[in-house]
Amino acid sequence: MFEALGSGLALLFTWQGTLYLCLGVFVGLIFGAVPGLGGTTAIALLMPLTFGMEPWLAITMIGGVMGATSFGGSVSAILLNTPGIAPNAATCFDGYPLAQQGKAGMAIGAAAAASSTGGLIGIFTLVAIIPIAKQIVLSFGPPEFFMLAMLGLSAIAVSTGNSFLRGLISALFGLMLALVGYDAVSGGYRFTADIEYLYDGIPLVPALVGLFALSEMINLTVKGGTVAEAAPSRAITGVLPGILSVYRNWPILLRGSAIGTFIGALPGVGGTVASFLAYTATVQTAKDRDTFGKGNIKGVIAPESANNAKDGGSLVPTLSFGIPGSAESAIFLGVLILHGIEPGPMLLIEEEEVVVSIVLALTASTVLASLFGLMVTRQLSMVTLVNVNILVPAVVSVALVGVYALQGQFGDVVLAMVFGVVGYLMIRFEFPRITLVIALVLGELAERSYHQSIAMADGDWTVFFVREISLLLFVVTALCLLLPALRYAFGRRRTGEGAA
Amino acid sequence: MRRTLLSIFAGLAVGLSWPGTSHAFPDKDITFIIPYTAGGGFDRTVRALAPYMEKYLPKKVNVVPRNVAGAGGRKGIAQLFRAKPDGHTIAVFNMPGMAIPPLLGQKVSYDLAKVTWIARLARGTYALMVGSKSAIKSLDDIKNLGRPLKITTTGLGSTGHTAGVVASTVMGFDFKMLTGYKGAKQFILAAVRGDGDASYVLVTTVRKYHEAGDARMLVTFESKSSFPGVPTAREAGFPALEGMSLERLVGGPPGVPADRIAILEAAILKAMADPELKEKTKKRPYLPANAAETAKRAEGVLKFYLKYKSALAKQKG
Repeated sequence: MFEALGSGLALLFTWQGTLYLCLGVFVGLIFGAVPGLGGTTAIALLMPLTFGMEPWLAITMIGGVMGATSFGGSVSAILLNTPGIAPNAATCFDGYPLAQQGKAGMAIGAAAAASSTGGLIGIFTLVAIIPIAKQIVLSFGPPEFFMLAMLGLSAIAVSTGNSFLRGLISALFGLMLALVGYDAVSGGYRFTADIEYLYDGIPLVPALVGLFALSEMINLTVKGGTVAEAAPSRAITGVLPGILSVYRNWPILLRGSAIGTFIGALPGVGGTVASFLAYTATVQTAKDRDTFGKGNIKGVIAPESANNAKDGGSLVPTLSFGIPGSAESAIFLGVLILHGIEPGPMLLIEEEEVVVSIVLALTASTVLASLFGLMVTRQLSMVTLVNVNILVPAVVSVALVGVYALQGQFGDVVLAMVFGVVGYLMIRFEFPRITLVIALVLGELAERSYHQSIAMADGDWTVFFVREISLLLFVVTALCLLLPALRYAFGRRRTGEGAA
Repeated sequence: MRRTLLSIFAGLAVGLSWPGTSHAFPDKDITFIIPYTAGGGFDRTVRALAPYMEKYLPKKVNVVPRNVAGAGGRKGIAQLFRAKPDGHTIAVFNMPGMAIPPLLGQKVSYDLAKVTWIARLARGTYALMVGSKSAIKSLDDIKNLGRPLKITTTGLGSTGHTAGVVASTVMGFDFKMLTGYKGAKQFILAAVRGDGDASYVLVTTVRKYHEAGDARMLVTFESKSSFPGVPTAREAGFPALEGMSLERLVGGPPGVPADRIAILEAAILKAMADPELKEKTKKRPYLPANAAETAKRAEGVLKFYLKYKSALAKQKG
């Protein structure tokens, strides 16, 4: 292993290695930042370019893209309330309020530090758990996935904001949306109104772009002014306090990274779930819960560390079983096969240098992306001072072009616009969007794994409680649900005493 | 010589039909629709081919692979049928995948009998596997199981699901489909993990799991077994299942002029014979067939599955 590491490093520092790595990082940052595009699109576009390349060089470039997209996406989440890629959606909740307060620099600094540190932790964990990767992947069956989805959905309880009822209504609306389309269990189509576009359900990225970016642009147009309401002058807070805040809140950083790595390692779950779980876990355990959603820096650290750590984690099933842990690693598999490398159980043994190249490229990229990003944070942050009359048309057109470019489907553009209006109405009538998104992301996983569990146990519902990991997840879920209720009861008694 | 003459005539025909332009086919980029997402088997097959296909086209245009994923491949094929039949839009077909929805009585906006077939790229043959820790060691063990065999698969209407129902019916199993997995690798893993008992998988996909000792093969539908000691369908007494396969065929919308088909066919066949591409894809080789043979194969596959229409309909929940 160490020998391979040495030669891998030597390759990375050749002019070709460095050049292609930087190219990958640069493309990843841009594609991450433009809403609608993302790592998958970037890799798909770069793939043909790698035809003539040496395999390790291709892997280095693609690794560069993978490590950079989620930080790129956080920048647009913070500055414009527009998640660049789906896993950045959770970053909007506190990142954007910070930008509104003129603290965009601080938020980006925190995102950069959290991303790179989280990414590194994910990669180190990957290297550490490669020997037992197989057991981890094999111990998660449908009942465990169902409980995991339940755990995620329980987060709704703490994310409802001021009105519990409105939060629940949003969540139920999200669940309803999650049911649209092809039902893999029965093979039928539901709620599609015979529109072919809806056969595959509501696509997440266009929906998120609508809910966050377009709705915010409508909101800004109605209000007028600039994003940063409290900008006293052109001086935007520096990035340094943001970077420092990450290490001051190291428990949150560690937890976010752990959640990210773990969720990433489970095939078919993905970064969006990881960052939401990290965010809600932070809110649930925080003492200053009321300040979340209003610009709490911890609300940026948690999801950003998680969504970068998941890159390392998602390579666990990719490398050990040839099963992608995320959309990016799915297409990354395609690149490997294109270069004659068969991912799967044999890869770790036969193609050591390939694994080393991936690990090194991801490591270097996750740090480089943050450095590149920090260099231009000041300039980027100026976006929040731009007058809405200029900003709105620019953002709307970039977002819609991005949504169209994703699949080349006009339906996606229409869907994004519909969700833009829905999102604006939700802002206007104070319905939280976060619960809708959580339900939309997890609804499909919950339903599918429930049906599978019941089918594999021949209708016996105790299947959820006789398997250790599933039971453990159930207990954690129950605790998460009870915790706010207990806190609420305690809190009321205390304030009651105070008033008396 | 004949081909040159043909293309000259084709050029004339194009020149006549579009006054003002006077060049031969292809006169613009060729869109190669892949009805699945990037990164999968169909995507890979086409993307690797595209640059070599460009090399052998009579005029220098790009061959642009385009993923139009959705509705189990139906979206992409529907888009192909809406395209102008001028040879500039072609697609890769999953047979029998695209034939299944109409078999189940689902509405589709294409008619496979009218496709202009161009060539075959590849073909995958199925095999039946169980996890290596499973108690099931042979086909007889399945018969003596005393309960339905649980088969992990994607969903009703998918190729794997259909193959599973057909083969299980022919072999006389008492079986139950465990659906909802996203793709072959997921349901292979599910069988290894023990969610269900067994899985019908393509030989090329399952080979590395077999080599790594995670999967045990019970029967293969190849004509010559590529797993030592594993019987073929014929040897196991089910000759009807021999050659049960998934074909990757290239076709155009109905009514593409024959001269243009000939140009595309020649380019695709020459590309697959290119030594450089062959070297690159030696682990997953192409299995070429020309337009006439492809049309025959497509018809054969349609006929084969039509026989099991009622068994499939029974699976509809």
